[in-house]
Parts: sequence; structure tokens; C-alpha cells
Amino acid sequence: MPELTVVFTIVLTLGAYLLFRFLYMRYRHPLLNIVLLGAASIITVLIVCKIPYQAYVPGKNIMTSLLGPATVGLAVPLYRHRSILRGYAPAILIGVAVGVFTSMASAAIIALLAGLPKEVVLSLVPKGVTIPFAVEIARIHGGSPALASAFVIATGTLGSVFGGTLLTLTGIKDPVARGLAMGTGAHGQGTAMAFIEGQQQGSMAGLAMTLAGIMTASFAPILIPFLI
Amino acid sequence: MSNKIRLISQIALLAAIYWGSNRLVIFTGIPIPGNVVGVLLLFGLLCFGVIKLEYIQDAADFLLKHLVFFFIPVAVDLMNWGPVFYKYGFELALAIVISTFLTFFLTGYATQLLQRGKNRCRN
Repeated sequence: MPELTVVFTIVLTLGAYLLFRFLYMRYRHPLLNIVLLGAASIITVLIVCKIPYQAYVPGKNIMTSLLGPATVGLAVPLYRHRSILRGYAPAILIGVAVGVFTSMASAAIIALLAGLPKEVVLSLVPKGVTIPFAVEIARIHGGSPALASAFVIATGTLGSVFGGTLLTLTGIKDPVARGLAMGTGAHGQGTAMAFIEGQQQGSMAGLAMTLAGIMTASFAPILIPFLI
Repeated sequence: MSNKIRLISQIALLAAIYWGSNRLVIFTGIPIPGNVVGVLLLFGLLCFGVIKLEYIQDAADFLLKHLVFFFIPVAVDLMNWGPVFYKYGFELALAIVISTFLTFFLTGYATQLLQRGKNRCRN
């Protein structure tokens, strides 16, 4: 009964999302990552019930059909904050460009020096940007979307747990600078932490997150052949 | 009920922009994801007043609020990648930690430098 499996996988995924979203909303701890815990519990159920990954794919395709339109919606917060964008244009554009270049180049260079396979290196390059952009950038350049999503979550968790402390220790106190660093370095997870610090940091991080995605996608075709 | 119809038609408009952006990417052959082109296209359409915020903001806010949901099925594919983490776990952790800290520091440092310059000009 393949139809039943499709319904089961969708209900399972929705249930995992609602459960971990509830826990995250309640405790607001960056280690309570909805995507990581949700996927881990689904994988556990699939293994225990002996359901192969291939049986999850039809349900996955139905569930992710709105991911594209949702991502396009990121233009809305960008447009709402256009006055901030204009007011801080040099700081935002240069800061995010520096961060995007650092993130891509340092990840690729370390991974290549460590001798990681090419497919893994290419999945690591967009690790600093939000998942919908990262998976597409990885796919276009020959990486794996799933690995890219895992590296994005690892980066976001690391950045949201230690990023604020790192900025304080290195003397970065300016709220605009802190917000941009959190959004560029740790995408949505960093943005959530930036909003806990303050409204200005949060708005800056949100802008930086979307711009970092656009810039990473635009730099990748030039930078990747040069590095790898 | 009319709220639901409005939400669905707004989602359809976002989907149409996404679809158009993907066609544009395929047609031109540019190596940039369709969703990135879609964000730029919608931002442009909003700036030029072709699309008003009211036409899409309910759908955009709703979908962005639950954006994380869509990432879960993508991450389930990780069950096929266990050996990579087993074999290269240390190297991967090293690359992610160093690169993330460098990105935080350099983004913050560059921006703070620019902000100081700006404040000095103002004073």
C-alpha cells in the first residue's frame, strides 16, 4: 500500500515538526534544533519500521513543493526593511560580502587541505546560508543537497551557541556589526539569536541572511572553479 | 473562508513568480538557483510597484513562519550519508568551526570599522 506509506510519512513529518517547534518555542535553546531533531526522529522511526528511504521520497516531494514559493517570500522582509538597507548600504554590502567570501573560501581551503572528497567540499561551500539557497547552490555545483543541509545546521547551531560570545571577546560591540555577523555567519539560527539581543541586531541579521544567500549564489560560479 | 481564498491565491502568485524565475534560469543557462532569482525578481517588482505588498504579504508571512518545516524532509536524506560523517567527522568539524568563527569575526570587524568611520564623519 504505497499510498498509505505516503500518508504515514507526511503525518510523521508534521508530527515531528509540531513537537519540536513546541519544545523550541517553550525553551528557546539553540541546541533544540527543530530540523535536526525532527529529521533524526523521523530517520529513527523509518529504520525501526524498516521503511527504506525510497518510500519516504514521494511524501517528501509533496511536502517540499511549497519550499520554492516560500523562499521567494524572503523578498517581503527585505522590502519592508528597505529604509535600513538604504541607510546602512555600505556597511551592509561590504560586511556581508566580506563574510560570504570568508565563509566560502575558508571552508573550501580547509576541506581541501584535509583531503575531503570533492562532493563533500562542494556541499560545504554554501554552509553559511539558509537551507533553501544552500541546497540549490550545492546541487548546481555538484555537491549533495542533504549534506549541504546538515552543514548549514551545524554552522547555524555553532554560530547561535558561541557566536555572540565570540563577538564580545573580540571586541565587536556595535549592534549593526553584531547583527550582520550573526546573519551572515549563521543564517536563520543566528538571526533568531540576534533578535534575542535586540530589535536592531535582529533586523540587520535578517537582511544579512537573505543578502548572504544572494551573494553566495552569485560568487559561487566564479569562486568554486578558482578554488576547486 | 475569504481569508483562506486570499491566502491560497497569494501562494499561487508566489508560486508563479518562482516558476517564472526557474524558466528564466533554464532559458538563460545562468548558474544561479531559481529561488535566488525569484527573491530578486519579487524585490524588484515590489520596488517598482508592479506588485503591492498586500498582494503577497499574508502568504509570505505564513510560509516564512513555517519555513523550517520544509527543511525537515530535506534533512531526512541524511540517513543515506552516515558513512561520510563516520569517516570524515573530525575534518568536517574542523572546517566548520574555523570557517564559522572566521566569518563571524571578519564580518563584525569589517562592519564595525565602517561604522566607526561613518560616526567620525558625522561628529
